[in-house]
Formats: sequence, structure tokens, C-alpha cells
Amino acid sequence: MNTLVLGSAGFLGLNLVDALRAAGLDPLCARRKRTNVIPLRSRRARMVNVDLDDAASIREAMTGIDVVFHLAGHYPRHSQDGLVAMETGLRQMQNVLDAGAEAGIKRMVYVSSTATVAPSPSGYSTESDVFLVAPGFGVYHDLKWLMERRAAAERRYEVRIACPGACIGPWDLRLGTSALVVAAARRLDVAHPDGIVAVVDSADAAKGIMQQGLLADAPARALLVGGNYRLHAMRVALHERYGVPAPGAPIGASEAKALADAEESRALREHRRGALSREIVDLIVHGLPIDASLATRALGITWSPLSTTLDRFDAWARQMRIIPPLENVA
Amino acid sequence: MITPQAQEDRVRQILSDLTNVPPADIRAGDRLREDLGLDSVGSMELLSMLAEEFDIDVEMEEAAAVADVAGLMALARRHLG
Repeated sequence: MNTLVLGSAGFLGLNLVDALRAAGLDPLCARRKRTNVIPLRSRRARMVNVDLDDAASIREAMTGIDVVFHLAGHYPRHSQDGLVAMETGLRQMQNVLDAGAEAGIKRMVYVSSTATVAPSPSGYSTESDVFLVAPGFGVYHDLKWLMERRAAAERRYEVRIACPGACIGPWDLRLGTSALVVAAARRLDVAHPDGIVAVVDSADAAKGIMQQGLLADAPARALLVGGNYRLHAMRVALHERYGVPAPGAPIGASEAKALADAEESRALREHRRGALSREIVDLIVHGLPIDASLATRALGITWSPLSTTLDRFDAWARQMRIIPPLENVA
Repeated sequence: MITPQAQEDRVRQILSDLTNVPPADIRAGDRLREDLGLDSVGSMELLSMLAEEFDIDVEMEEAAAVADVAGLMALARRHLG
């Protein structure tokens, strides 16, 4: 089976490439012209340049491919220019979907987000809980909802949707959810709101995505979550784990949104990353408990315990000097 | 085989492309983050561009250890001889 991974140089992409190779496949790895390909080079991965704004480059990469894993959906790094983010995300999604049809692929797995999962009256949300209209929480949620809706409407070939929760694990070089771990290890206490965070080990998420692509019979939408946690309780446990003083009390949702908006404005002016981003605040404040039992059954995943996930991330982060060497940690 | 001077010139040019600092203004002691304004992602992109440009096998651990221009030049020398 010929497979293509869009977004292969990214966090989840590298985990997926490893999973596919462990399963005996040799995926073609699509990469942007300017990105960090050192991990792909060290894996001796087959690479191809793809620009999601260049339809021909996508079509060419997909030629002869059976299953495409699309992990390169636009991720708005800030919420300051929502219209541009929406337009970019939808345009690129359409380019990818059209290229799949023109190249004659059999199946695509589009990796979306648990941001698209709607609340359930029963408490725990499942695959059937979908927002009927854009959630309206912020740019990230609305764009992810729009992109997933566009992907789910594709009828020229089969599209399956994977919704991983907040991923923690090796190769999170940009530090998404793993930033919580790094902050604790570095004795940083960044103000956060409280809410439910649906966490998943990156290797488990990658396995789920892979199975959705490879199994003849798999759910059209799968929620990939290993456990649901209150963020503040998780931060307290992380600070205990690293032997550092407990984090400050959570801030309110409105205060957190205002802080994140101010941080994003400052980060844009100073061309640097803010301490807290709006999409993270929205994900926490609107976080939902998720029931991932369908993925457990249909995709055969055994979710890693959080302690195992944290151990794996810690070992990798120390190797990469993201977390200080043990002798420097009090 | 690329000469040491050509190596150094090319490293400065790649750095300049990423940072918009003129090659002549880039000093060996400049730190990638503090002096040249590259964040951790930018630093990794730089190392990746270098690896592709010179077709050398750099491991992430080695790349992560590079903090300044001198370290970058040393890495290039180590791999290119």
C-alpha cells in the first residue's frame, strides 16, 4: 500500500511516520520547502516538496498513492486575523481534497481536532457529537469546524476524520500541550484558566490515525483521547513531579482570554511567541470530557497511562535540551 | 570539495536569509537566539537548511546543542572535514 503523509515533519506527523514504518510501510513524506527536516533525514525518509497553495505540487505527490494522511491543515498561530486564517485554511483544504480526486487516491484520513467535538447531554462526548454551526469560541475552533465539515462532505473518495486530543510525546518541538510539562520542569508558572483537557499520547494518536487509514473497516470519525483531566489538577501534579512550588490558582475565563489576546498582540509586534495563546485558552475553557471507547474497540488502541506518556516526553525533552539536564533540576 | 572559506560564506548567507542580518555583520560570537533573533523553531530550520545545503547527516541532539554562529561553523566543519 502506498501512503503519503502531509505534515510529516511536524509533531504528530513524525509520530505517524514512525508508526507506519513500524508497520512495514515506507510512507512518502511531504514537507514544506522551509521546515525542519532533520528528523526525517535521520530516518532516511522519502521526501517530497509540497506547497498546499500549489495544487500541482499536491497532485504530483499524490500520484500513485492509495492512502493520504492529511496532518497539514492550517493551524492559525494567533487569533488576530480570523478572516485570513479562515480563507487560508479553507483554500488549502480544498486544494488537498481536489488533488486527491485528480490523483485518484482511494482514501484520505484528515486529522482534525477535538475542538470540533460538541457537548453531549450525557456528559461524555462521542463521535456523534458535532456542532451544527461553527462553535463561535474563537478563530481556532471555527476554522477547525469549517475544515472538518469541508473534508466530511467529500464524496469523490472516502475521507475519514481523526480527532486527536491534546497530544503529549516526543517530537513536539514547537511545544503544544507539552509546554505544560516544560514549564513545570523549568519552574515557570504561566497563568492558566481551568477546564477539562482531553490528553492523548502522541504514539497512541499516531496509531489511531494509521489504523483509520489502513483498516478496511474503520469509523468515519474517531476521537483519539487517552484520558480527561482538569488542567489545574494536572498542573499541580506536574509541579509535584518536578519538585517545584505549586502553580498559582487558575484565572477566570474572561481574564485568560484578555491575557491571551494581549500576549498575541505583543508577540505579533515583537515577532516572538506569546506566553499564552488564545486557541489554548479556548481549548481549555471549552474543553469537554470525551469518550474514546469507539477508537479503543474499532482501532484496537490501548491508551498509555499519563505517567508513561510523561516519562517518554521527559526522556526525549532532556535529550533535546528542552528540559534542563537532571543535575540542574532542583 | 568545498573550501573552509566557502563553507563559512555559505553558512553566513543561510543565516542572513533567515535573519535578514547582512552576512558581513554576522560574527562568530553571535548567539542564534539572543543576538540574531531566531527562536527555537527558527534555529532548527537553520540547522535543517544547513544539513540539506551540505547534504550532511545531523542528529537532532547535535542540532539542539548549537547555540551560536561559532557552534554552527564547527558543526559544518565536523561534517564536511
